[in-house]
Amino acid sequence: MRGPAIELRGVRHSYDAGEEVLHGIDLTIEPGEIFGFLGHNGAGKTTAMNILTTLLEPSAGHAEVCGFDVVAARHEVTGCIGYLPADVRLYGHMTAAENLQFFGKLSGVANTRRAVVETLDYLDAADLADRKLSSFSSGMRQRIGIAQAILHRPEVLFLDEPTAGLDPLGVRQLRSTILRLNQDLGMTVFMNTHLLSEVAKVCTTIGVLNHGDLIYKDSIEATIRRFPDEASLEDIYVRMEATPA
Amino acid sequence: MIATIAVQHVQSLRRQRVVVALVGTLLAMTAMAGLIGWSSHNTIVRVYDQAVRLLAADGKPAPPNPFLLKPSLSLLSNMAIYIPLIGALLALVLGHLTMADDESSGIGRLLFSRRLSRTSYVLGKLAGASAVLAVGLAVSLIASVASLWLVNETLPTGSELGRLVGFYGLSWLYLLLFALIGMVMVLVTRRRSLALLAAMGVWLVMTFALPQFTSGLRPTASLNPITDPASTTQPFFDVTAKARPFSLSEQYKTASAHVLGTATGESGTETARRVVPLAVSVAGLGLLTTWLVRRHDYSRGSSDD
Repeated sequence: MRGPAIELRGVRHSYDAGEEVLHGIDLTIEPGEIFGFLGHNGAGKTTAMNILTTLLEPSAGHAEVCGFDVVAARHEVTGCIGYLPADVRLYGHMTAAENLQFFGKLSGVANTRRAVVETLDYLDAADLADRKLSSFSSGMRQRIGIAQAILHRPEVLFLDEPTAGLDPLGVRQLRSTILRLNQDLGMTVFMNTHLLSEVAKVCTTIGVLNHGDLIYKDSIEATIRRFPDEASLEDIYVRMEATPA
Repeated sequence: MIATIAVQHVQSLRRQRVVVALVGTLLAMTAMAGLIGWSSHNTIVRVYDQAVRLLAADGKPAPPNPFLLKPSLSLLSNMAIYIPLIGALLALVLGHLTMADDESSGIGRLLFSRRLSRTSYVLGKLAGASAVLAVGLAVSLIASVASLWLVNETLPTGSELGRLVGFYGLSWLYLLLFALIGMVMVLVTRRRSLALLAAMGVWLVMTFALPQFTSGLRPTASLNPITDPASTTQPFFDVTAKARPFSLSEQYKTASAHVLGTATGESGTETARRVVPLAVSVAGLGLLTTWLVRRHDYSRGSSDD
């Protein structure tokens, strides 16, 4: 990877209605970081992720992933990222293995059958391979969602609200998976989330988006040092949202 | 990539039993056309036989058997009516599912975060939907041959087979038009239910309103192919007669009748000319679908699914 894993410079975005949802974001995420992107509903987190995953083009500014421009080098960007959107359902009438083989082929995986077996084994989900997704619980579906995102061993993994709808056991499993992906495979993780307790346990760096402006970005350790009077990350977050730095 | 999308789409339609519904309905339509043809054939032959006996008793010569004067494929002439009425509706639903499922399930977001171009996606989806239609029509073709064999007690000749293949090829093009309408409606509306309703509205206009209008308001125009435009000198009917080439349902029905040989008085070139507006419409809608997918915002899902 050349330079930062993710870089945004003056990124702005407006939807058709004209209202600007991102007001010139500058953000750099180094390879190997687990970045927690925090913000209230409608702050623009998903829009930023959509831009980084090439689903949307920024109205202005410049964004790079793995050193490639998300607009000019879309093909290269999509080759180096894995993505798990919020509430994705995959194909319910197909088995987990069939779903994964399909997405493996789209990602250019040479031996999809082997990659599917290895990935499911890695995620302790081999028993789900031949079952239809329509019969899965949220937690099982999320594991298959993670599997499709990492099947081609991406350099950067994007997770949009990955803990939404999961029970405490599912959240714990997901946390452990993210840490393993980061430590074993060296994946950079970019995670949109509301769950501050998870951010504290998993992320190395956090950023806070408030009404389309990035109001804070630093490592977890530095954040806790910077706000010594606050008891938890939740308190720090509430304070930041109330009084932008 | 195109093949991967196409294979997945066919598999998906098969699992959702769309293929079974399509093939089953086309098969039932073919069987119905064959049954009606066989029934009317039997009734007329029985009446003819009775008439021959009565005429022979009176010492009068018998007229020739009416079925010897009719082309053998006339047995299937009802298919040209069932395809626009029922087949087109099925094709609309097929086209709707082709686009709506990925959109509403959020899978579009996953697909386009991969090395998949939007053009490859549309081409793959179109190839899958076209293949499903082709399979349904191929099964119907086989059923047609079987019913002709049962009724006529002889297999269709090479020329008749050629006509049948031509008819089913034309039907495939016609159904593809409606599949594309179903796809386009998903891409231009944000609600699945509205997309299906809008597509059915287009079907109603094309199947019923336009034929009635362009055939000079003849009451049977929406069902039966009318070869000659209404002959009148009134300006209104001049307009309706001029608009006739744009009534794709009528062009299909009339061209089908000529391809099957159940209508006469038109050269092959004239029949081919009838197919041109249909082919142009399919090509135009194909390009429109590609353009719409290329500019579609897949980062947001559709509602009320």
